[in-house]
Amino acid sequence: MTWKSPVALVREALQGQRAREKDLRSLMSNLPYEGLEKGKQPNRYFPSNAIKTTKYSLLLFIPMNLYEQFHRLANIYFVGLAILNFIPVVNAFQPEVALIPICIILSLTALKDAWEDFRRYQSDKKLNNTPCFIYSRKEKQFVERRWKDVRVGDFVKVVCNETIPADLLLLYTSDPNGVCLIETANLDGETNLKQRTAVSGNPEFEPESFNGIVVCEKPNNNLNHFKCYMWVSNTQKVGAGIESLLLRGCTVRNTDHAVGFVVYAGHETKSMLNNSGPRYKRSKLERRLNIDVFFCFILLFAMCLIGALGHFIWLYALPGVPPYLVPPANGHLDSPNLSSFYMFFTMIILLQILIPISLYVSIELVKIGQIFLITNDIDLYDEETDSRIQCKALNITEDLGQIEYIFSDKTGTLTENKMVFRRCSIMGTDRTGSSSRCQKIDPYLEFFLALTICNTVVVSMTNNPLETLSSLVKNTGNILKCCKRKPKRNRTFTMDSDDQFQPSVKMEEPGTSGLQPCSLHAASLHDKHPLTSDNLRYEAESPDEAALVYATKAYGFTLLARTPDSVTVRLPSGEVLVFEVLDTLTFDSNRKRMSVLVRHPITKEYVLYTKGADYAIMELLGTPYAGIGNEKNIAAVTQRHLDCYAKEGLRTLCIAKKVVSEAVYKHWLVERQRALTAIDNREVLIMDTAVQLETNLTLLGATGIEDRLQENVPDTIMALRQAGIKVWVLTGDKPETAVNIGYACRLLEDEDLITCRAILDCTLEEVRRYNSDPRNVDTTLNISLVIDGRTLTMALSPDLRGDFVDLAKHCRSVLCCRVTPLQKSRVVKVIREKLKVMTLAVGDGANDVNMIQAADIGIGISGQEGMQAVMASDFAISRFKHLKKLLLVHGHWCYTRLANMIIYFFYKNVAYVNLLFWYQFFCGFSGSTMIDYWLLIFFNLFFTSLPPIMFGIMDRDISAEMLLGVPELYKTGQGEGDYRFTTFWVSILDAFYQSLVCFFIPYFVYQDSDIDMFTFGTPLNTTALFTILLHLSIEIKSWVIMLGSVLFYFIVTLAYSATCVTCNPPSNPYWVLQNQMADPMFYLICILSTVVALLPRYTFHVLRNSIALSPLIEAKHLDRLDPSMREEWMKEWRSYRGGGQVQRSTLSTPPSPTLENPVDIFSESLAVSDIMGDDFTLNVFGQ
Amino acid sequence: MLLKLGGHCSFQDFSEESCHGPGSDEMVQEENEFTNRPDNTAFTQQRLPAWQPILSAGIVIPGFVLIGLAFIGVGVALFVTSRSIQVLERDYTGDESGTPCASCANSNVQNSFGFCFPQSQGPVFFYYGLSNYFQNYRRYGTSKDDNQLYGVLKYFTSPSDNCAPYAYNSNNQPIVPCGSIANSMFNDTFKLYQTVNGTRQEVSLDGKGIAWWTDYNIKYRNPTNNPLKDAFNGSNSGLFYRNFLINPIYWSKPAYELDTSDPSNNGFVNQDFLVWMRRAALPDFRKLYRRISQDKYPDGLPAGNYSLEITYNYRVYRFSGKKKVVFSNVSWMGGKNEFLGIAYLVVGSMCVFMSIVMLIVYAKFKFPDEE
Repeated sequence: MTWKSPVALVREALQGQRAREKDLRSLMSNLPYEGLEKGKQPNRYFPSNAIKTTKYSLLLFIPMNLYEQFHRLANIYFVGLAILNFIPVVNAFQPEVALIPICIILSLTALKDAWEDFRRYQSDKKLNNTPCFIYSRKEKQFVERRWKDVRVGDFVKVVCNETIPADLLLLYTSDPNGVCLIETANLDGETNLKQRTAVSGNPEFEPESFNGIVVCEKPNNNLNHFKCYMWVSNTQKVGAGIESLLLRGCTVRNTDHAVGFVVYAGHETKSMLNNSGPRYKRSKLERRLNIDVFFCFILLFAMCLIGALGHFIWLYALPGVPPYLVPPANGHLDSPNLSSFYMFFTMIILLQILIPISLYVSIELVKIGQIFLITNDIDLYDEETDSRIQCKALNITEDLGQIEYIFSDKTGTLTENKMVFRRCSIMGTDRTGSSSRCQKIDPYLEFFLALTICNTVVVSMTNNPLETLSSLVKNTGNILKCCKRKPKRNRTFTMDSDDQFQPSVKMEEPGTSGLQPCSLHAASLHDKHPLTSDNLRYEAESPDEAALVYATKAYGFTLLARTPDSVTVRLPSGEVLVFEVLDTLTFDSNRKRMSVLVRHPITKEYVLYTKGADYAIMELLGTPYAGIGNEKNIAAVTQRHLDCYAKEGLRTLCIAKKVVSEAVYKHWLVERQRALTAIDNREVLIMDTAVQLETNLTLLGATGIEDRLQENVPDTIMALRQAGIKVWVLTGDKPETAVNIGYACRLLEDEDLITCRAILDCTLEEVRRYNSDPRNVDTTLNISLVIDGRTLTMALSPDLRGDFVDLAKHCRSVLCCRVTPLQKSRVVKVIREKLKVMTLAVGDGANDVNMIQAADIGIGISGQEGMQAVMASDFAISRFKHLKKLLLVHGHWCYTRLANMIIYFFYKNVAYVNLLFWYQFFCGFSGSTMIDYWLLIFFNLFFTSLPPIMFGIMDRDISAEMLLGVPELYKTGQGEGDYRFTTFWVSILDAFYQSLVCFFIPYFVYQDSDIDMFTFGTPLNTTALFTILLHLSIEIKSWVIMLGSVLFYFIVTLAYSATCVTCNPPSNPYWVLQNQMADPMFYLICILSTVVALLPRYTFHVLRNSIALSPLIEAKHLDRLDPSMREEWMKEWRSYRGGGQVQRSTLSTPPSPTLENPVDIFSESLAVSDIMGDDFTLNVFGQ
Repeated sequence: MLLKLGGHCSFQDFSEESCHGPGSDEMVQEENEFTNRPDNTAFTQQRLPAWQPILSAGIVIPGFVLIGLAFIGVGVALFVTSRSIQVLERDYTGDESGTPCASCANSNVQNSFGFCFPQSQGPVFFYYGLSNYFQNYRRYGTSKDDNQLYGVLKYFTSPSDNCAPYAYNSNNQPIVPCGSIANSMFNDTFKLYQTVNGTRQEVSLDGKGIAWWTDYNIKYRNPTNNPLKDAFNGSNSGLFYRNFLINPIYWSKPAYELDTSDPSNNGFVNQDFLVWMRRAALPDFRKLYRRISQDKYPDGLPAGNYSLEITYNYRVYRFSGKKKVVFSNVSWMGGKNEFLGIAYLVVGSMCVFMSIVMLIVYAKFKFPDEE
């Protein structure tokens, strides 16, 4: 090791800093420099691949952890008090002893932190020592090294099923096409394979001959974005994007091996940059709690003031200097003013536990316990995906019990997001899924060819026979399942237009539809070509695509292989065609479509196949469609079909094609190349080129894909609505689809009044009129609002927002269609802020992330659309139906448990501290305690803390069956819930009363006797223990812990008073409890005080339980019946309590002018009609 | 799931691999498949059995009746016992005319006064009482050195800071026993005479065992020096002559001469000292002075005329304190106290009354599960 001057070191460090901060990085291969010292390495400034996620180091653990902990205000308060105790004039206890509680709490937290950090250290170590292959120039081959040895600029080889150690720029793969498939499950949980392509694409790659310079952007955490180019020679540069980047943590699949150049290592890798810690949210209850802590401060202040004043008066009234008034060490008595000033601080120390020191720690413990129980609930476990519920936010469990609004995504959340191809319209002819009539005339061929080609589905030939088998079972199962159609319900929803549209009538036929042949045919296909087609497994980025490809396969158009350059398709005739893929214009949410440009193998034409949302395609159709004639007709018919599909709840897609002339293509290609290599604005440029090409399309047809409802969705929504939760569905789908799904999942009901795309003012007016109508006082109006994205934009504008919220408040359910992700989150925010309600958002896709983050609680559904929603969520579930138990049972439990526990903690501390306070009136307000300080601490920390914590974790006020059976019980938690201003103060008053009893009964008994201080304190302490524990026993069920606490108290106190002879100087606990326990008076006092203290509370509970039955108490009563009896009672109860569901109501009069003459409104509210455009209608459907 | 796979297998029998192991592989699969499945135990599924009565009228009626009756019973017993205790109190502060020892406050003299005592049952306890005396004052309470009182010589010469300003006198001599409590020890003495046929007979008072056994034997100890004097005047503690120990300022005699009649009742284990050191809980208190159970009086004082001779040393009038003597016999429940008996009676009757109220409530609002 050569010595370097400090200046050189500093310069080196600065250079490193600059190199890391630069927007573009130039990286070179390490190989030419192999074996040289570090200072000569070209990439020495970039971090190595060793990671360290631990927060602390061994040496600095204590100071760092303390620093972390003192970020909490509560800890500072208690340390401040402990320090105050070291000031002789104000101290109340032995200063050392006063440090104990805060030390215990700090060390408990430190222990927890240390354990967590150790776990992180272990996992780091394991990761860093994972083997991998790095190319070595010396040995001329890849040699085995550890992950931590990987440096930027190295060449790393990854073999199949191995995890990628760092972010690699893919240079070479064993695949002849330069393709490598990776699974990103570790990163985002998506199990479908993603394709990556090698940059250079040259099949003979030698690391040693690599002399290019890789220029890449600064590391960032965007998993789907990467910009880089590579100088292959001095003049030629090759661009590369995310499609050539192998991300650390992903697994290589279906590829024998791949070689990559390390661009980011260690903490700079995208997966590490994405690793942010757990989210911290503050629950509503905790916000409330902080207010009450503030009240406690006021109370404390008042009590200390009384103490100080009392001391002043007491001193002032003394006629002389009595022998018991001990001057300070200097021998001179302080003036009453000064001593009462000091006394104020002494009182703060004495009464400090009025601010519940252990509350915060206890809440944390309780929440850990609650989360443990939630994650262990077998009802929230999904066997299909083998996943439990995941709790990502650790501190908002109780918010689950207070939800008033649920905002739900539709696709994948309410529905399975497992797509089944149902109907298609080819060149204006509607077809059901039946393929029996498939004639191989051109339009059909073209249509199915387009479907087969225009996607990103990857064919994977799985080597694992079992996997294939199970996937086949799954797929076949799906197809079979979809054949069993539910009998059609009689809906009063009628088509408002297109009455002549016949295919829709066909759907009204009950029972079988044309689906059965489809699946039968699919099965027979399996039989016919088993060897060639059954091993095919399609991996798609979106389930729609997979459904389409599976469907075309059923029709005989089999996608055999897809590489970046070609698509192989087998036609029904058995002919195999290989299309050369010239370019793929990938899907994005702005264009809402994707295209594939291929060269037809026979005609050699350049053909662009485009697939996308109907409105995205319809706008781009070529000019003939605007004119009169056959084309226009096709477009119109197809549009009608699309509307019809949407009404059936199908997801629609349009398929179009375009033949591109060679000249146009060549011209376009140049533009495209320029866009691809651009490093700035690359996305925009690429998109622009895509838009350039996607014009003048020829419509081929449309498809309708069914997305079936998840199981128990209607049931869950019903229950949630009965629980007083308003359910909103926000979806990107068409209004017709949304309304249909709304009916299917009972969000909308047959008798509901549906206000479609309504005009805010008049609807609101109508609703108001209805509500003010004296006839309708007891009935609630069942209105549902359906609003589309464009109207929503307007409704959310500042001036209309109030009205919109007002209207939404009156609606039982709201459906928002065609909304963008941003709108979703804006709706959530507006409702949350304007109505001050607790909101929950549930979704499964990336488009729900905004909404999930905006709501008080975000719930992600781990479904087909990847894990982005789950990553952003607070809780992740696997099925929508789990929401029911999560909210109705766990939410209710967590909330009542925690609310009661917090109130109990306040009560407990006030009740106990007041004993000391009352004593001050009899000791000249001098801050004396009649209870040994150790016992004071123990009382709070050990004797009485376990029962409330167990209560907070395990108590069940009402059984789960009852809560699920009677969702109305959930309403008790909404709004202010159990934890109210009054509840807090009532329990504080109760605490005052109980402490008065606990103090004054012993006082009157021992008045004027020869009792000594600590003997007097013993029955007080014991009574307080009994009272405080029995106070809880009104609610709690775990009597074992109660008895344990009492036993523990006696054992510890007896042991303490037997061993402490001179250990705690001012107090005198020796043999006190033993003496007391030999005295019958002790027991008589304890029994009497306990009974008197608890009598009012018990009486109140008894009377409340007997006379003023609240739903909760009634439910408790019902819980005690045997199950069959309970069923009956539950039914009976719901029939009279759940009146809202039984009594239906509709508007007394139809909205008079608006319905009859919609044109009036046009003139009245221009702004509205402008936005509504031509398709404005006001549809009000009555019964 | 199993069945389906099996069925499918035959359908798929073209594929060799797929069929070779649904049996064995299936089992492995089955085991591995549900690794995340939560345990279905009563604890994790929150189905632990629990017993909790709902406090409703029907259930608490028997409880109220039982508690009420039991309390009334206890109350009666306490009340009767308390009534049977005889107590005689005499204030002898002497700052008011017409009270016993009327001029005591102004003169430090021996004074005596007579009184009648009714027949008592059981031994009579003789207390002195102080009022408006805050032995529970915080700084007063800390003003002692437990280690010194435990007989550790080291702390004789360097008493704890807690004792300040009663740790050293103005000449910087350590005070033993140090601190305010010891310093302010009550030092009036009493002699009781019975007047039988005009002659005064001294009633012998038993000063043994008036303090706690644990205080006398364990908590407080004299140093092992013999004679005890050596320890308390510092002559045997290896100190320089100048630093010899001194008594508390208010004490008239040294600690080793507190009881001249009994050498073992001196120093820190003097019974009166121990009684004083055990601080009273409330500002009005009494402390046991002597028991009258010896000689002729094992079963209590006979009725008759008695006179009490007081050596008046302890000044209380300057802080408007009061002094008194109390003669009382004791029962299992200690001294006379009617509060507890009455409280039990009241609460007991309230419970009975409540049970009647509950009965009415129950009759009107009973719930089906209570039938």
